[in-house]
Amino acid sequence: MARMKFLCDAERCIDCNACVTACNNEHDVPWGINRRHVVTMGDGESGEKSISVACMHCTDAPCAAVCPVDCFYFTPDGIVLHDKDLCIGCGYCFYACPFGAPQFPEENSFAARGKMDKCTFCAGGPLPDRSVEEYKLYGRNRIAEGKLPLCAEMCATKALLGGDGDVVSDIYIQRVVKRGGRPDTWGWATAYNFKSEKEKNP
Amino acid sequence: MKRILFILTAFAVLAGLVGCSSESRNVTMHKPGVYKGVKDPLLALKNQQELIDRLKLVQTDR
Amino acid sequence: MKKSNKKWLQKISSGPASPKCMGRRTFMKLSGAALGSGALIGLLPLSCMRQATVEEKTNFPRPELQSEYRRTICTHCSVGCGIIAELQNGVWVGQEPDYESPFNLGGHCAKGAAARSHGFGHRRLKYPMKLVNGAWTRLSWDEAINEIGDRLLKIRQESGPDALFFCGSSKASNEGAYLQGKFAALWGTNNVDNQARICHSTTVDGVANTWGYGAMTNSYNDMRNSKAMLFLGSNAAEAHPVAMLQILRAKEAGSRMIVVDPRFTRTAAHADIYARIRSGTDIPFIYGLLWHVFKNGWEDKDYIAKRVYAMDQIRKEVEKWPPEEVENVTGIPKDKVYLIAKTMAMNRPSTIVWCMGVTQHHIASHTVRLFCIFQLALGNIGISGGGANIFRGHDNVQGATDVGPNCHTLSCYYGLAEGSWKHWAAVWGVDYEWIKSRFDMSRQYDAGGGKMAYTMNIPGIPVSRWVDGVLEDKKNMSQKDNIRAVFFQGHACNSQTRGVEMKKALEKLDLLVISDPHPTHMAVMSDRKNDTYLLPTATQYETSGTATASNRALQWRDKVIEPVYESLPDHTILYKLAKKLGFEKEMFKNIKVTNDEPLIEDVLREINRGAWTIGYTGQSPERLKLHAQHRGTFNPLTLKAEGGPCKGDYYGLPWPCWGKPEMKHPGTPILYDPSKPVAEGGLVFRAAWGTDYNGVSLLAADGVYSKGSAIKTGYPEFTSDILKTLGWWDELTPEEKNAAEGKNWKTDLSGGIQRVVIKHGCAPFGNGRARCHVWTYPDPIPVHREPLYTPRFDLVKKYPTYPDRKAYWRLPTRYQSIQSVNHSAKYPLIFTSGRLVEYEGGGEEERSDPWLAKLRPEMFAEVNPKDAADAGIFNGQYIWLEGAEGGRIKVRALVTKRVGPGTVFTPFHFGGWFQGKDLYDKYPEGTAPYVRGEACNTATTYGYDSVTQMQETKATLCRISPA
Repeated sequence: MARMKFLCDAERCIDCNACVTACNNEHDVPWGINRRHVVTMGDGESGEKSISVACMHCTDAPCAAVCPVDCFYFTPDGIVLHDKDLCIGCGYCFYACPFGAPQFPEENSFAARGKMDKCTFCAGGPLPDRSVEEYKLYGRNRIAEGKLPLCAEMCATKALLGGDGDVVSDIYIQRVVKRGGRPDTWGWATAYNFKSEKEKNP
Repeated sequence: MKRILFILTAFAVLAGLVGCSSESRNVTMHKPGVYKGVKDPLLALKNQQELIDRLKLVQTDR
Repeated sequence: MKKSNKKWLQKISSGPASPKCMGRRTFMKLSGAALGSGALIGLLPLSCMRQATVEEKTNFPRPELQSEYRRTICTHCSVGCGIIAELQNGVWVGQEPDYESPFNLGGHCAKGAAARSHGFGHRRLKYPMKLVNGAWTRLSWDEAINEIGDRLLKIRQESGPDALFFCGSSKASNEGAYLQGKFAALWGTNNVDNQARICHSTTVDGVANTWGYGAMTNSYNDMRNSKAMLFLGSNAAEAHPVAMLQILRAKEAGSRMIVVDPRFTRTAAHADIYARIRSGTDIPFIYGLLWHVFKNGWEDKDYIAKRVYAMDQIRKEVEKWPPEEVENVTGIPKDKVYLIAKTMAMNRPSTIVWCMGVTQHHIASHTVRLFCIFQLALGNIGISGGGANIFRGHDNVQGATDVGPNCHTLSCYYGLAEGSWKHWAAVWGVDYEWIKSRFDMSRQYDAGGGKMAYTMNIPGIPVSRWVDGVLEDKKNMSQKDNIRAVFFQGHACNSQTRGVEMKKALEKLDLLVISDPHPTHMAVMSDRKNDTYLLPTATQYETSGTATASNRALQWRDKVIEPVYESLPDHTILYKLAKKLGFEKEMFKNIKVTNDEPLIEDVLREINRGAWTIGYTGQSPERLKLHAQHRGTFNPLTLKAEGGPCKGDYYGLPWPCWGKPEMKHPGTPILYDPSKPVAEGGLVFRAAWGTDYNGVSLLAADGVYSKGSAIKTGYPEFTSDILKTLGWWDELTPEEKNAAEGKNWKTDLSGGIQRVVIKHGCAPFGNGRARCHVWTYPDPIPVHREPLYTPRFDLVKKYPTYPDRKAYWRLPTRYQSIQSVNHSAKYPLIFTSGRLVEYEGGGEEERSDPWLAKLRPEMFAEVNPKDAADAGIFNGQYIWLEGAEGGRIKVRALVTKRVGPGTVFTPFHFGGWFQGKDLYDKYPEGTAPYVRGEACNTATTYGYDSVTQMQETKATLCRISPA
């Protein structure tokens, strides 16, 4: 049994925002928070690439390490969840996370930070599975229903994969092998260390 | 008389001090790194195979 | 004492909270629920903010209730993604991926993933409203229909039935669109249209005139078999995101992806080869490709000799386009044109994709023909992986084009001649003479070129020109009076050009009715004070029906939720209105109506009874529902069901699905593919223009026929007489003979001719050649003409546009008089527009959806760094963008290299502002979209296609300045 992982295949991501919207839909995320967001690099220029980012559910999660009230916990398959009732909204996890996954609601008085909200891998929170209370605080618990995160299930081009890390890996390896017949896209210049036109493939 | 009183008071004080020191020094209120929240029933759920099947059903390039 | 101390301390350390806080938290939980939205929580003092702040959530799933799942089709684009809606007690609580659907395999784009928000009714029109001295007042449905009906009857009496412009919709289902067209026909006008006019009208006409049908020849899924793909003016990554699933998989299998676009789009980011082209120079580009193809002998000579007519005339024209001239006009370097030509030729089967970038020009009917000719030259038509893959726009624009409201034809491209009217009169069961009496028969008008006809047989005013229908001097028009009443059902107005004049037209109208789920830009952009009605209309999630995806497949939609608030579906509104106007009995003669709602299945059956030209006859409600139920049994590559209850069918029964439903034709997945028998989805080119022209045969050569055909050479379209000559007539049953006597394959309502012909392996519409020369077109061979507003005034002399026309679709239409003036001196930048992935069409529906609106909160214009520097503009600043006819819009500048120097791009989805002013206050209470912005078409200009009246939006001029 492997850890639960997300993988966003940058060759297929088209920045359609389906993953962002599917998540907003499933968990009725309030205005101002996007648990998942698509980052586009090199926008508008040759080499533009997009990748969908949310909580990476790290094994050695920095957010959990720095939380002063220890509101984070891990499921056996590696999903990082937290208890909003313990959260004090200090924002330290936001400092620690390299991916910007912790989000804080904007519609509070004086723009106060409020409780941290983040991608839950559609696994809800510590409250009883699939209950109304869990939905209101954390959103839907798809894992308890035997389903996987909706962002990955609704990706337009199947760029975003989410689930058992071994299987995700298998799917991705198949793609890489299939693409292997196109060395021009895959940076032979980098692999064989010739970057300028002057240097040729020996 | 005074002496006995003095000895008894000293004895009481010493007994009290001994009593204090036998209190557990272990009054740490915070265990760092240990989750303090409610236990999630999801942790007991064993549906990994179901989730693997779902991944293969929905997210593969059919 | 010590023990209890310990226990008390442990309680503090390990318990969730102290007893004191517990009390406050419980209090907060209760008060939070009572207060509701986050806005109110904002009024509480900070000390009460300990509770996790949540906005009041609604429409969420409850574990104790049973969930029901219904399947519908996304209401946005023509890919036709399946949506699974989860309902509890009629409330839409969730969405699941429809992974069984062969089209999207569960995937969506942002819009499809937001479908559930329709159940919230955000910013929807709740009840009928009308403007009374500038204020929106509520009225009941009966009042609204009565008042509107009375006004319409009065206008009809004074100015004739043509004074109404009824705009239908490609967002309506097939049934809704069909009824819209029928409504206009029985009212007595051809002034009816839908979004297809400004979308792919040029494609439909141009492509149909080349080889028979003007629709996508293959399918999105079939593109996985292509070895090379050329995208011209198509931004599939934003306009058809889920189609990218097929395209990127094709690319991974080794297919070469070529994108030619004025912008480096998100699609171009995935391309192997990208070429930046000047807007409006598509014809020179293709001629440039053909130059290399012919020079190197890459064309498929055998294919051309046997299946194509007049390729030699193309060869002659190609000689005028050597590489230097192509580079001069298009701006694409010579070697890149060569590379693209070689890639397409060397990697066959190759496919070509085009969208609005190509279709929205005043010569586009000719441009698309040249694209077809290019594919014919390479022999790419009629094979898997090849084809002309036309990506249609809205979810049902294909269906609306086929069966719905069009000003130049009755349903299913029958045209407007007497024979067509008689055909539909027979299908409707209505007396032809009665229908005739509904039209203005007082006199004849100029149908173009001096030919006189009654308005019943003259194409009506299209949606791209309705503004002129209102404003033009009526003595210049080919109808009795101006348009005095406009009824828009399901169509935005900010997608049509010339917004400044549109405002004037709106203010001149006697009556304006908007039947839409949202108010739309049309309700607020003018200064009308009275006689304006808003009718809340249901979306496609609130009714059942069918929709035709771009690959011609029909999909059934279940009704997901009841219409929200007081909204009603399109067809119910049409029934009520028809009843008020007095012709509901004729209109719904064969359609069951319950509580004012027509039965959708009956409408589809009526279409099945009449749609013989394009084969919408075999897709009965039962067959389509079966397909929807067993969609998982269809192979996602071939779209064929290898087993199961739908065995042998192609998913959605793509038209032509010949014959009656009992014949069980499987649908035609790839058009013009002779490798299969017609009975199994094979086809040949249509013989639509006779047997020969100027002595040269228009029929296919010997040895060219669909598999299993009894006739092994070209043959004309089938009539009862031809069947008699062939000796097949007696294979018809007596009832069929009765109905088919004297008729042809299009007008035989029994379907007997088609049945027998297909039994013999022949195509009902004949076996002809695709033609490169269209003698009925203004330019029989496509030639380049500069856009009316061109930045290259120096090229106008060599590539001029058409002379002005006096009566063209009932209106005078200008060409030369515009192009002869050099506008580029004052307006040096090309102004083009296009799509974003988060919004669609007029955008009102998506901008009223918080999940989508938060992704794109502002209108903007993409400006190249060079142009920004020239104008003194920096990124994020407000600028005035002034179009060449004076319309101005105030937008934010997005300085990016995505557009080349000399081009400015804006999205067209925004509305709710007019020339710098936010029109929020003009919306009825609670209906203004969350995101409003300038409609880019406020600043666009005149220019209409010479065959279909398509508007020239993609190539006009502008200038920018800081605001």
